[in-house]
Amino acid sequence: MPLLEVNNLTYIYSPGTPYEKTAMKDVSLTVEEGDFIGVIGHTGSGKSTLVQHLNGLLKPSSGTVTLAGRDIWAEPKKIRDIRFQVGLVFQYPEHQLFEETVEKDIAFGPKNMGLAQEEITARVIRAARFVGLREELLDKSPFELSGGEKRRVAIAGVMAMEPRILILDEPTAGLDPKGRDMILDQIGAYQRETGATVLLVSHSMEDIARTAKKVLVMSSGTVAMYDETGEVFSRAEELTGLGLAIPAVTRVALLLKQKGMDLGAGIYTVEQARDRLLPLLTKGGASHAR
Amino acid sequence: MLADITIGQYFPGNSVLHRMDPRVKLILTFVYIIAVFFPKNWLGLALATAYLIFSVCCSRLPLRLVWKSIRPILPLIMITSALNIFYSSKGVELFHWGFLRITSGGLITAAFIAVRILCLIAGSSLLTYTTSPTTLTDALERLLRPLKALHINVHELSMMMTIALRFIPTLIEETDKIMSAQKARGADMESGGLLQRIRALIPVLIPLFVSSFRRAYELATAMECRCYHGGDGRTRMKQLHMTQLDGWCLLSMILLIAGVVALNFLIPAVL
Repeated sequence: MPLLEVNNLTYIYSPGTPYEKTAMKDVSLTVEEGDFIGVIGHTGSGKSTLVQHLNGLLKPSSGTVTLAGRDIWAEPKKIRDIRFQVGLVFQYPEHQLFEETVEKDIAFGPKNMGLAQEEITARVIRAARFVGLREELLDKSPFELSGGEKRRVAIAGVMAMEPRILILDEPTAGLDPKGRDMILDQIGAYQRETGATVLLVSHSMEDIARTAKKVLVMSSGTVAMYDETGEVFSRAEELTGLGLAIPAVTRVALLLKQKGMDLGAGIYTVEQARDRLLPLLTKGGASHAR
Repeated sequence: MLADITIGQYFPGNSVLHRMDPRVKLILTFVYIIAVFFPKNWLGLALATAYLIFSVCCSRLPLRLVWKSIRPILPLIMITSALNIFYSSKGVELFHWGFLRITSGGLITAAFIAVRILCLIAGSSLLTYTTSPTTLTDALERLLRPLKALHINVHELSMMMTIALRFIPTLIEETDKIMSAQKARGADMESGGLLQRIRALIPVLIPLFVSSFRRAYELATAMECRCYHGGDGRTRMKQLHMTQLDGWCLLSMILLIAGVVALNFLIPAVL
């Protein structure tokens, strides 16, 4: 049984007003336990609307969302339990920090779950470690930290709930390349260590290529593609047609192929390109020497 | 829930009311609010109400919108007029119990108060529905210019108002976003007693304050980058012009007041 199932989900914003807008049209998809899914799409393609349905922040206009075989809206009173199982980190999550200390802020979620104090402390320390926050920062005010550190505190705040599914909406937006790499690595490490299911919403094909096993492409409120990362990136023309850029290396490989140098399919990270190019270069070098 | 707030909500259009000079509209609204307190008999009150209904028709606004502006203050109107029932001791006594006395005069006062407040609210929301906030503050700045003699910086005040109005929707959106984010961390805002609910707002209010300050700094920097240095020597892209239309509107208001005053003389007062 899939961990999460979305069936014929349709969502309409402000129904019955002049501002009515259909944000999701008949979306169906399944997420398996342990998946790492990159969600990509244009601004307004419905990515954020979709992920807010998965933890019950939005209620479908029609259709269902099932978590481990149970409709999450079966008991609307218990929707909070769903939110503990499906953790959602919003865009620019550092704007939601409010506590006096970093530790208290990270503990907000676990505290709402009603856990015992020792368990909360243990989880806070664990979550801080996952995002690479030094322990002496825990007693500081979150407002004293740098932008990148704040972001990591906010992500830790959701990780500390130890959700079965962790969803991150543009976790790298507005960070410098170093901060971006760090956060992506940490999310990857979190997934490997806990076995959690991760959904990573991003604009950046590079981010997704680096981390995700599967890619979900959204376009005007529908699922345009949903497949293994390699499969999706091999459909470069369709992606470009949807106004999405393929990773720069993939484009280089495609152009090389047009020029008669076939590196083979499935190149979407710099490492993969290097591994394919190096043998060719040494071979080429050898032929020159001859 | 937050989307229901309509303060200062401008409803674009091209009706007579939309095309009026905002200065004239502002003054006439102000005069009208005073004028609804003139009538001393039913006919005068009916005339003032009819003037408002006619204006609403002229504005071509959906009636639902006008109703939306009145609905939130209905309880206030009811309490105010209910209290007024007991204030007047004129007329025939209808009911007596202890110190409570209801007279026919009291009932009439209550009805008058209710109609007046309704007209007042509907009239002023008509102004904000048909005038965009920026136009309104432009008009206000122009009208208050004489206060400069008293060393009051009218330009800065109106700039502050423009900015405040401009940021209402932004702040509402921000509040929604922060609320969702805290709900995603299990914040419970929908249950519990009053004290618990107030406590539940802290995780929303603190980030909201922090981001308001951040926005304020950013806006100030952006304004300085564009060489904003207050109102001196600043020209306007859109000049305000009075037209014949404004003349007619002014005339209609004069006629209304004259009519109400005349009726006060001709017909015995019921108040």
